[in-house]
Amino acid sequence: MSESAAPEAVVVIDDDYAMRLSCAKIVSKMGLRVEVFEDGARGLEAVAALKPGLVVVDLKMPGISGLEVVSRVHEIDPQIIMVVITGYATIDTAVEAMKSGAYDFLPKPFSPDELRLIVNRGLERRRLALESQRGEVERALLKRTFVTFVSHQLRSPLAAIHQYLDVLQRLDEAGDSPARRREWIGRCLKRTEELQSLIADWLTLARVEGGALLKERVEVDLKSTIVNILENYRAMAAAEDVALEVSLPEGETRVRGDRTCVSVLFDNLITNAIKYNRRGGKVTVSGGFCDGEIVIAVGDTGVGIPEKYRPFLFDEFFRIKDSGVKRTEGTGLGLHISKRIVSEMGGSIEVESQAGIGSTFRVRLPAWREPADDAEMGGWE
Amino acid sequence: MTTGGKRILMVDDDEDFVEAVACFLEANGFTVLRAHDGKEGVRLAKVERPDLILMDIMMNERTEGFFAIHEIRGDPEIKHTPIFVLSSFCSRLPDLEIPAAGGWLAHDMFLPKPVNTAHLLEKIRQRLGKAA
Ligand SMILES: Nc1ncnc2c1ncn2[C@@H]1O[C@H](COP(=O)(O)OP(=O)(O)OP(=O)(O)O)[C@@H](O)[C@H]1O
Repeated sequence: MSESAAPEAVVVIDDDYAMRLSCAKIVSKMGLRVEVFEDGARGLEAVAALKPGLVVVDLKMPGISGLEVVSRVHEIDPQIIMVVITGYATIDTAVEAMKSGAYDFLPKPFSPDELRLIVNRGLERRRLALESQRGEVERALLKRTFVTFVSHQLRSPLAAIHQYLDVLQRLDEAGDSPARRREWIGRCLKRTEELQSLIADWLTLARVEGGALLKERVEVDLKSTIVNILENYRAMAAAEDVALEVSLPEGETRVRGDRTCVSVLFDNLITNAIKYNRRGGKVTVSGGFCDGEIVIAVGDTGVGIPEKYRPFLFDEFFRIKDSGVKRTEGTGLGLHISKRIVSEMGGSIEVESQAGIGSTFRVRLPAWREPADDAEMGGWE
Repeated sequence: MTTGGKRILMVDDDEDFVEAVACFLEANGFTVLRAHDGKEGVRLAKVERPDLILMDIMMNERTEGFFAIHEIRGDPEIKHTPIFVLSSFCSRLPDLEIPAAGGWLAHDMFLPKPVNTAHLLEKIRQRLGKAA
């Protein structure tokens, strides 16, 4: 796992003053240490002394060329990630640079987000390389900053939808087939849903992060919330040939929280239990009480979650990409959001799973107490 | 058809994007080969020898397209295949012809994604016309 010792250093080598300045600003805002240099010679000296995690270098500089910097940095330490800045004039050199071991390139002009994305990805790549070098679990987990990843995830479905519409419009004149037209409209709808769920997830996360849960805490009845959600997914479950079973306890199942967030929490767990199930399988939602807490378990008979992935399950954007696992749509935000919601509510969430047999997500939430109790406990100022 | 059944290889990890553009090109008389990652793209380029390649850059969360282009340009058998880069990297820029230098051929292009297909068609016809 990545330990959080001293922040990694990033070295920027560029003869353009404004470029150095803005790179430095962006990178230091990422919580990384950054040093800037105006030419290759000074930059290389610093790289040897500092042993940074990542070096950003402009390919077009007087003096030692960017290309030479790339290979010399790798003589110093082949594990340093090299990112080259390139304009169209040097795009051929960029390919050369990649050949001599640069990790990625940044086409000019680039936005702060693009720089952040590439720096993050580069450093993550380095961590993975260093980790596997130490013989630790190899994992394809790429953790990213939220905004950069989201903007990339937003672009792809939009481009696909746009392209279908563009071509539909043009094929019209050439006379296309109605079957294809129908299929494409279906695909556009799917990609639109992808966009919508991404945006919905994004908003929920913002809501949780903005402390909405602490502000508007009302009583929410878990039993009726869950029954409503299950009702909504009857059709989806039937289509997947998955049975839905529910056995919630008699008695009070009220908790204190934000209505939307509580729905989102169980919605995520239930849809996952359906999505990652098998045909003929089932989802069981059961409940009970334990030490003043309400415990709700969402169990499935699906693919299960291999042990090596469990530590990352609640990380943002984490999705299992094993070839064995069936491909489903998803943002990889659901469980992360669920965990945030649960902890904001003073509860906990855990998972038990056996690969090939199924998984159970167990949520514990403090049971609702009458406000009078609160007044006694909190006291009045 | 004036295109005479020319073959185009499209390398892009978004199946929907490929489907839309490929069908458009097919409706205009081209044969389209499809690859969904850089490796498969290079393999098809070598085996199938397409007349032109449309290449995405960001695939599978990295700039895989550049590696693919580099490999294609490094293979003497196929290095003269024209390549058009279709990438959202280019969406803020006007489409530009890349100067003939290094690994790039004269008239290779960068086009923004999503792409104006009529414009793409025109550029492909021009390019293949030149090659013929
Ligand atoms: N019940 C489950 N059984 C097996 N694997 C699961 C289950 N729930 C989650 N996972 C795995 O954990 C990953 C993360 O789940 P999460 O809910 O965060 O995202 P998602 O399902 O990919 O997308 P979305 O947020 O749109 O639901 C999933 O991609 C899946 O691989």
